[in-house]
Order: sequence, then C-alpha cells, then structure tokens
Amino acid sequence: MSVTAPVAPPNTPNYNDPQIVAEQIKTKYPDAVESSSAQGIVVQSDQLREVARYLHDELAFDYLNNVTSVDWQDRFEVVYNLTSLERGGAPITLKVNAARENPSVPSLVPVFRGADFQEREVYDLMGIRFEGHPNLRRILLWDGFEGYPLRKDYKEPYYEEEKKPFGSRWDKGHHVIAEDRNPWHDNVQYPSNFDAVAYKPPRDQIQVIDAAQAAAMRLRTDKIVLNFGPQHPSTHGVLRLRVTLEGETVRGVEPIVGYLHRNHDKIGERNTFVGNMPYTDRLDYFTSMANNLAYALTVEKLLGIKPPERAEYIRVIMAELTRWQNHAVALGFIYNDLGAFYTPLIYAMEERELILDLFEATAGSRMMCNYMRFGGVARDVTDDFIAKCKYLVNERLPRRTDELEAYMVGNEIFHSRAKNIGVLPRDLAINYSTAGPVLRASGVKYDIRRAEPYSIYDRFDFEIPTGTTGDLYDRFIVRVAEMRESLKILKQALDQFPAGEIMTGKKNYQVRVPKGEAYGRGENPKGELGFYVVSDGTANPYRYHVRGPSFINLTALNDMCVGYKIADMIVILGSLDIVMGEVDR
Amino acid sequence: MTLDPIVITLIEAVVKTIVVIVALLTAFAYLTLVERYVIAKIQSRIGPNRVGAIGGIALLQPIADAIKMIFKEDFWPSQADKIIYTIAPGIAVGTALLAWAVMPLHPSTEIFGYRVDFFIADVNIGVLYLLAIGSLGVYGIVLGGWGSNNKYSMLGALRSTAQMISYEVSLGLALVGVLMISGSLSLVTIVEKQSFIWNVVWQPLGFIIYFIAAVAEVNRLPFDLPEAETELVAGYQTEYSSLKFALFYMAEYINMITVSAIAATMFLGGYQGPFGILPGVHWLVLKIMFFIFVMMWMRGTLPRFRYDQLMRFGWQVLLPLALANIFITALVMLVVGA
Amino acid sequence: MPVDYLPILVMIAIVTAFAVIALTLSAMTGPRRPNPTKLSPYESGMPPFGSARRRFSIKYYLTAVLFILFDIEIIFFYPWAVLFRDLGWFGLSAMGTFMLVLLIGYVYVWRKGGFEWD
Repeated sequence: MSVTAPVAPPNTPNYNDPQIVAEQIKTKYPDAVESSSAQGIVVQSDQLREVARYLHDELAFDYLNNVTSVDWQDRFEVVYNLTSLERGGAPITLKVNAARENPSVPSLVPVFRGADFQEREVYDLMGIRFEGHPNLRRILLWDGFEGYPLRKDYKEPYYEEEKKPFGSRWDKGHHVIAEDRNPWHDNVQYPSNFDAVAYKPPRDQIQVIDAAQAAAMRLRTDKIVLNFGPQHPSTHGVLRLRVTLEGETVRGVEPIVGYLHRNHDKIGERNTFVGNMPYTDRLDYFTSMANNLAYALTVEKLLGIKPPERAEYIRVIMAELTRWQNHAVALGFIYNDLGAFYTPLIYAMEERELILDLFEATAGSRMMCNYMRFGGVARDVTDDFIAKCKYLVNERLPRRTDELEAYMVGNEIFHSRAKNIGVLPRDLAINYSTAGPVLRASGVKYDIRRAEPYSIYDRFDFEIPTGTTGDLYDRFIVRVAEMRESLKILKQALDQFPAGEIMTGKKNYQVRVPKGEAYGRGENPKGELGFYVVSDGTANPYRYHVRGPSFINLTALNDMCVGYKIADMIVILGSLDIVMGEVDR
Repeated sequence: MTLDPIVITLIEAVVKTIVVIVALLTAFAYLTLVERYVIAKIQSRIGPNRVGAIGGIALLQPIADAIKMIFKEDFWPSQADKIIYTIAPGIAVGTALLAWAVMPLHPSTEIFGYRVDFFIADVNIGVLYLLAIGSLGVYGIVLGGWGSNNKYSMLGALRSTAQMISYEVSLGLALVGVLMISGSLSLVTIVEKQSFIWNVVWQPLGFIIYFIAAVAEVNRLPFDLPEAETELVAGYQTEYSSLKFALFYMAEYINMITVSAIAATMFLGGYQGPFGILPGVHWLVLKIMFFIFVMMWMRGTLPRFRYDQLMRFGWQVLLPLALANIFITALVMLVVGA
Repeated sequence: MPVDYLPILVMIAIVTAFAVIALTLSAMTGPRRPNPTKLSPYESGMPPFGSARRRFSIKYYLTAVLFILFDIEIIFFYPWAVLFRDLGWFGLSAMGTFMLVLLIGYVYVWRKGGFEWD
C-alpha cells in the first residue's frame, strides 16, 4: 500500500469546497454520492472504501482528521473529516449512513491506519461494526460491557429524562438528589449470566515462538508478554501497555486504555453548550486554555460570531503561554523517562508555576481555567497581568528556554539514547493521523495555525519547526523550537495588544445554538484538538465528540517501538506526550 | 594479670568491629539525609526541614525514618521462596559491612602505652579480600530477585548481576597499576607508601577507570539500571518492605562508602593528609565525602544509559583501557627505572 | 599469618548477628495484615500470570562466563603486579604473552557479537 500523497497538479480546482470534491467523485464513481452539501458529502456505504482511496490517492486527501458517528434515531451516520496536508484549509466531511439494526460500514483502516483506534471507539460507544477492521474490539469500555452508551436509547445509571438546565430541585422544599430519584440498579445492565464475583477477565496467553523462528534465532530465548501498567511509574497515568518482548527487544506493543473513561461525549450531550466549557479543561489538564479555545471556536462556527479584537489577543496569549509550559514540562518528563532524577522537570515546573500564576490571576484557577466563552473570554486582564506577562515573555522564559536547551539537548547521554530511536517515517506519521509535534518531527510542515488560520494567527510572524528523521531527538528539539516560536508570537501579541471589549454581545449564561453541525479544531500543544458538535436547536448539543490528539497519536506507538529496547519504549511513549485525561475521555 | 595475646586480639577485634559497624550505620543514616538535602538544593527545593530541624536541616529525620521502617508491615509474598527471600537482604548488608575489616582508617597510635591499630585486620592480601567480598555482594541482589519470584525483581537482579560482574573486571584491573607502584597487596602498606605523593598522580587513567567502574558497581546514576524506575519499578527491591527493604538500602549506601574509601585509599593517600594538619581519619572521611558528593551530584544531573550501551561501554571501552593502562604503567616503570 | 584473619572471623560473627537481629526485629515489630492481593507479586496492577522463573536470555550466561575468564586473569595479575619490580622485562614479556592469548579470545568474542545486547 502506497501512502505517499502525489502532489496535486498546479491548476487544480478548489478541493476545499465539498461540492467540487463531490463532482470529482461522481466522475469516477457515478453512483457513489448520495448527496452533497456544504455540510458534507454523503456516500454509499458499499463504495466508501473506494471513494476514500480515490480521495487519498488522486485528490491528495492524505490525512484523516477525525472519525465519529451520530445517532439520528432512524439511522446512524458515520462522519469522516479529511484534509490534505499539502493544501491545508478546512477539512472536508464525508458521511456514510448505516441502518439502525445491525449497523455496519466498511472499515477505512486499509486506507488510513489512523482510523484504527477511532473506529474502535465508534464501535465501542455506538455499536457500529466496521467490516475489515483488523482488531475490532471495545477500546474504552471493558470487554464484558453490554450496550452502546452513545446511542440515544441507552439509559445510563442515574438516567434522568430532563436535561440541563434543570428545574428547581427544591420545589417541594426538599432537595432530592439524582441518586435518590433514580436508584442506579434500575438502569444498570450486566451481560447475560454475569457473576461479578466469579468473573475473570480474559487472560493474556504467554506466547511461545514456533520452531522456524527459533531456528532463525539460533539462540532460543522465551518470548514473553509483559504488562506495563495500569499501575506503573512510567506510563504517564493509568495506561496499560501489553508488550511482547524478546529478551530486551520490543516485538509488539498494544496500548490498552479506558481506565479513566467517563464518556465525555455523553456528558457533553446532557450539558448545555456553555456548561461543557469546564469539562473541556479536564481533557488534557495541562492545556486547559487551549482546550477552551478549540471548543469555543467550534461553537462560534455554529453561532456565526467572532470575538472582539481584545478577546482574540487574550486568547492567543493564553494559548501560547499554555504551549510553552506544556512543552517545557513535556521535555522534563522525557528526561525523567530517560532516567534523570526529576531535576529538568522541576526546572521546567519553576517557570510553569509563574505562568499558572498568571492564569490564576485572570481566570481564578491555575489548571482548570474555564476561561473562554462563546464570543469572547470570561474576564478581562489587568494592566498588571500585561506587565507581568511582558516580564516573563521578554526575560524569564527566553532565558529558561536557552538554559533547558543547553542542559538537555547538549547532553551526551541524551544524544546516544535519542538519536535514531523510535523513528516514525513521514509517510507513516501522516497515515497514522498523528498530530502536533509528533507529526512535525517526522518532517511534515503542517500546523493548523498556518494551514487553516483561526483566531488571529494569520497576523503573526512565526515559523513551523520540523524535524528530519522523526526520531526521539527530533521530537525533542521540535518542542524546544516551538517554545521559541511561542515566545515570538507572545512578544508580537503583547506589543499589539489593543484596548476594547472582551465579549461580543451581552454576557449570558445560556446560548441558543442554531441547528447545524461543525467540526472545529485548534493546534493544541499536543496536536490537533478537534470538536465535532451537532446542534438540534435545543439547549444541549445533540452530539458532541472530541478528537483527542493524545488518543490518536497513541495509534502509532506500536510501529514506533518495534525493534527497539524496552527502555526506549518508555521514552518513546514519553515523547508522544500523552495525557490520560484526553486519551480515555 | 596477663592475658593470652589471642584473647587480647579477640577483645580488640570485637570492640573495633562494633565501633566500625555503628559508625557505618550512622554514616548510612545521615548520608540519606545529606543526599536528600543535596538533591533538593540541586533542584532548587527546600529539602527535609521538619524533624528536629536545626538551621533548616532536619537532623532527626534519619532516626524518624529508621523508626518508621522498623514498624512497617513485614510480609512474605505468597509465591516467594521464603528462606531465600528473607536472608537475601542479610547477605547484602553483611557483605557490605565485611569489606571494612581491612580498611585502614588512621595511623597507628600509642594510647596509654598500648599500641592501637586503626584497622580491624591487616591481612597481606587486603586488596584481594576487598574484591572477593565485593563479588559476594552480588549474591544478596540475585537471591533477592530470585526469592521474590516477581518479574521485575528477577529481571532487575539479572541485570544487576551482569552489570556488576562486568564492571568488576575493569574495577579489578584498574587497581593493578597501583599495586605495581606499591608492590604490596596490604592496604596499610599501600597507604604508607603514599606519604610523599598520591598514587593518582602516577595513575590518572587508572583512577578514572576505577571511579567509573565503582559508580557502576554501586548502581548509581547514570548506571542505575538494576533499579531503573521507569522500566523495572524498583528492580530487585520491588517486593521488599520494612527493615528488609532498609537493609538493601543500607547495603547500597555502605557500598557507596566502601568504594569511595577504596578510591581514597588506593589513589588519594587514604588517611594521609598534607602538612600533617588534622588527624588522619578526618582526611579519610573528607576524601570519602568528596566521592560521595560527586555521586550525588551525578544523580541530580544525568539521565541513565540504556542497558546495551552500558554493557558495551564496560566491555568494549573500559576493559581495553584498563589493560592498556597496565601495560603503559609497566613500560614506564621499566624504562624510567632502568 | 593465620592469626591476622582472626579479627575477620570475629567480624563475620558480629555482622551475622546484626543481620539476624535486624531480620528478626522486622518480623516481630510492625502489623501483620496479609491479604491475597497484598501477597500476590506486583505486576503493574494486573493479576500476575506465570512464574517469574522462566528461561532468560543466553547473554547473561555469556557474561558470566566472560567474567570468570577475566576475573581469573585479574588473579594472575595481582601477584605479578606486586612482584613486578623484581621480575622486570622478563615479567612483562611473560605477562604480555599471556595477555596476547587472552586478547585473541577477547577479539573473537567481540567479532562474534558477544558484547551486543539485542
């Protein structure tokens, strides 16, 4: 399978317009397209894979941003967002309908390997089968779970008919909590014949290599399966890795996730639009400001509003401060994984504290900021904030960036351990839908801030740092370079900082979002954070889906680790810079 | 009343042994505090400053730690080999302490008309004894890993063993140059011969090889693979708790003191200080403290090697260098001596 | 002289006593609240499967054999080093020959990849 994207001929039509793309598809596959509109192209389920391959090979849509699904009660709809990294611009939307009974659509894994985890997630939560998927199992929920929680007819424990905003819970003079209204056992479903005490999870088998392999190896040693996590000091949270080892060499890694799963999507459907804002903080808790921004952008797309100048600048300043501190801490953690005794991490934390002070001064909270609103930000910044921020950006942070680079990139042991380790070739990086520094370290010059400029990023002068080989070393220095670029943006933003309003329209706690759907995204420090929001005109989103960069970057872990030592695997995992809050959602 | 000389020797040995063991245990306890404090300063933190703090340093912290360790639950994992699992920490700490039998601490002095030697035993093969006891230290670790019957312990113990025996070769060879200059295997003689000039001046390469190998031998960063937290959790110590864990910890620190003391004795003139100021044992302690500080410093700053890099470095770099050092020393001695 | 080793024997006795006291003390003090989960081997929070005592990489044996070879060499080196001044050029040439033989083996192991861990 070829994964290289051919360069489009110079006078190509505008492929960012779904109508034109639909026309192109029709020339090749006349009856594949059911309908097409600005909302997306609906294709026939049985020709989906051909269409996808055509888009990938011929029209250079080489990057699968997002896979999700919507339950329209009479049918399911699987939604794909595709981009061309070469051309940039907004992703086009591809849709497939599936029947309500035994829904199934062809899997896109043979074309886009990045669909692997995402299709498993759709299968897990919505119950749509993907024919041809190599490993279609539940991913976020446990293997014995019954039911598909994102379906509209699924009733979770403590299910309530009414949605937020609730009526008064004190109306009869007594506060009745949800647990008392709905005893949980009314809704809990167990698999048939389930006995909680006797239940044994399917046990991993110890693999023994066959005779031919043993002969090839001459010196025969056992191939063993080792568990890393969920309780392990170096898995960055409750992640479990099922590692096949041959001596010290990794032969396979399977990430097993879901220990922190809370069904963020379902919670989002029961919340109001604004009420979701604090929940996005908890996705990647290192970068709550950037999460807020991406979500606000998505809903603003539906609302069709733009925040005032001053708010845009505040947003950019917050997002870039977030990027700096996230990368600094990520570098520290990579060094921890390399075996350093916390010193680089604590040096990074020192500056991070100062940045969090600024967040606290503005948003009232250090990590869970809940700061952005639709059409602006929650609170205005003070002159004191600007002065402190200028001091940080012009003096402390550049100094600390240089210092960290000198200490960490200059280290000989680091060079010997990071160069040519965990190589992710360019083609694979694209095909696996990796995002952010991981993608750029593999040599892809793609940054949403440049490719599809949101907010006011088109006004600033900054570079997109890229690596060459896509090894651990590149992923490290790309982050260092991005810290520098963030400071560059911050300097410009602080110099141009305007006065004015911080909110479009009046401040209100409830927004009415018109009917429609939107895929919005932002370049988070960890990669492309996307939100797919469907509104049916009520107070709650009809469908709310998060494309977590940590989760999708994890798809590539196996290919990055195979053939390297187990000690390298830990560092490679560290270099992906995952946060379990976002992986498990 | 006259006593049989053998009885006098025995009484002397008992007293000296108890003094040395108590001194080492105290040194171990306070080294943990010093290490925490040094690392805290490196990382711009405050460090321990609560228990019995004087001047911001928690002087009673080691005692609090000891009491905590004693009263922690001591358990035997169900799949462990109970006997091996239990005696392994004892072996580890025992061999660590035994190395001090031949260490000269201070010049011999007359006290109340009685000649006191400040070493427990002056055997004529002191260096060999040290190497032999050092090799035995591996048993504590490998038995601990085997007895725990835990995959992390097992792998940690295996790695630890392979690493220690690999670097022991370079460690032993690095000392040969010193022996050639001193012409003796007795540590006391070696120290006495350095009264004019320290061996490190003649043996700079040997000294560097020795120090690198010694750091690897006591499993400190950047060679702390056996307890590599990021892969093996706590290596061979994973299943240990309570005083059994403390004994392993103790063994590790006493080994640190031992290799530092050997470095000081063999290369830096042992208890010999310049200008005759300060009594001898102070100089030895100062030199040991210097080496230990360097080890802590490295722990605060360096990441660790990968296992294959570590083994390759030991066998393909350190070992040829150590052999070359011996032959260069031999040639120089013969040419200059002739 | 054998009497020189007497203090070492005394030390072995005292050190053994110390270890035994420490291990007994730790078994006596402290609470005892075992439960099956606590007593099961730690395996990153998953129920353990299989024994830890399986066949492990041949490299470890190879390292052990190499160690024995070179350790014996060290033993030969020590008396030679002590008497080096007396032996002179003859001693150097004799040890040189011995080393040469050993080096051939060393180079062989190196070329065969005996020091590569993978």
